[in-house]
Amino acid sequence: MEELVVAVSGINAVDNPGPGIGVIRSLKEDPGLRVKAIGLAYDAMEPGIYLDWLVDRSFIMPYPSSEEEDYLARLFYIQDVTGLNVIVPTLDAELPLFIKGAEELAARGLKTFLPTWEQFELRSKQRLIELASELGLSIPPTEIVSSYQDLWRALDRIGFPAMVKGLFYKAYRVHTYPEAEGAFHKIVEEWGYPVLVQKVVQGEEVNVVGVGDGEGGSLGMMAIKKLWITSLGKIWTGVTIKNEALLEATSKFLEKSSWRGAFELECIATEERIYLIEINPRFPAWIYFATGAGLNLPARLVKAALGLPVKRDSSYEAGRLYIRYTYDIVTDMETFQHVVTRGES
Amino acid sequence: MMNKLARLAINDEGFIFDPVTGNSFTTNRVGLWILKQLKEGKEPMQIWQEMTARFEVDPETAERDLTDFIGQLRTYKLL
Repeated sequence: MEELVVAVSGINAVDNPGPGIGVIRSLKEDPGLRVKAIGLAYDAMEPGIYLDWLVDRSFIMPYPSSEEEDYLARLFYIQDVTGLNVIVPTLDAELPLFIKGAEELAARGLKTFLPTWEQFELRSKQRLIELASELGLSIPPTEIVSSYQDLWRALDRIGFPAMVKGLFYKAYRVHTYPEAEGAFHKIVEEWGYPVLVQKVVQGEEVNVVGVGDGEGGSLGMMAIKKLWITSLGKIWTGVTIKNEALLEATSKFLEKSSWRGAFELECIATEERIYLIEINPRFPAWIYFATGAGLNLPARLVKAALGLPVKRDSSYEAGRLYIRYTYDIVTDMETFQHVVTRGES
Repeated sequence: MMNKLARLAINDEGFIFDPVTGNSFTTNRVGLWILKQLKEGKEPMQIWQEMTARFEVDPETAERDLTDFIGQLRTYKLL
């Protein structure tokens, strides 16, 4: 079997972990692939750099907010020195850059499997409101605000607690007017207008992870419920579920959007309805859960990127349990020194 | 009434898993027996009668326990 060189970002396996390590572990476990994993890191302290049984080499990248030209040049350098074939970006902030640069990457023989720009924009919270009803899902009462006056009026109607959200990124749970004003200010400063104010709905936090084939179909999907979350709201234990309404809505989402690539649907389920909270255009940090439950979605995505035959089933059992845990390694300074001085290991 | 109960995975130790919601519950030996009767489609009246024969319990206590248990199933939206 020919070696495949795959670069994966998000190898920051910290308290708010990126998906990279789960993606790499999945790729390494697929019997149909022989993967050399390249970690794309933004800091020499990202733990993935030191997990040498998973990440074969690591490279420090310029921030995605830097010049696109510099970012792509770094990827082309990595291609020159490693023979890179496929890139799996896993961080929100990278997606716009990779989507815009997809053609240039493809022209250099670097494969990706990403949503189009139009699909990416579907996730905007404004567009989600329209999309949800087409999928048979609900949206918590939401108001779009562009001033403090709008914000106060919206909070009068929606009440507390409420979520104050940016159009694409950031969400703060607020309990008072001053908290809401602080959140509004932070979002406007970082992401600009408009800001959304959304009612907090009580229910079960359920998610679907999957890969869209780009033609309205699925390359596999799996639903879970978060059983235990950290103080940062990150999953620590979870269980697979078979919620047909949720899975049907996900299939409709793929049909209507012709979504290509990884996605995560974040929802709140109550007895009566399912609320759509967010659509993430990437794998979640708990992606290895799907692999462990029998659906190796990262391997399917890489095969799809290469145009290889891909399994499309979504066969998994309800009741598979996911448990995250912490681990320690001790190593010498060599790798750290190399990463700091050379920008690569 | 039966739809939700039918989907539950129940083991012999009284662990109950709902594959749609991901919720899990535990119950004791009597609760487990009542659940199995409900899953078989029996009515509360019939279960109550069988309960007094099967367990060492007077009819009043059995009725109260059965009513409480069914109330709990409703609270947890299992009925």
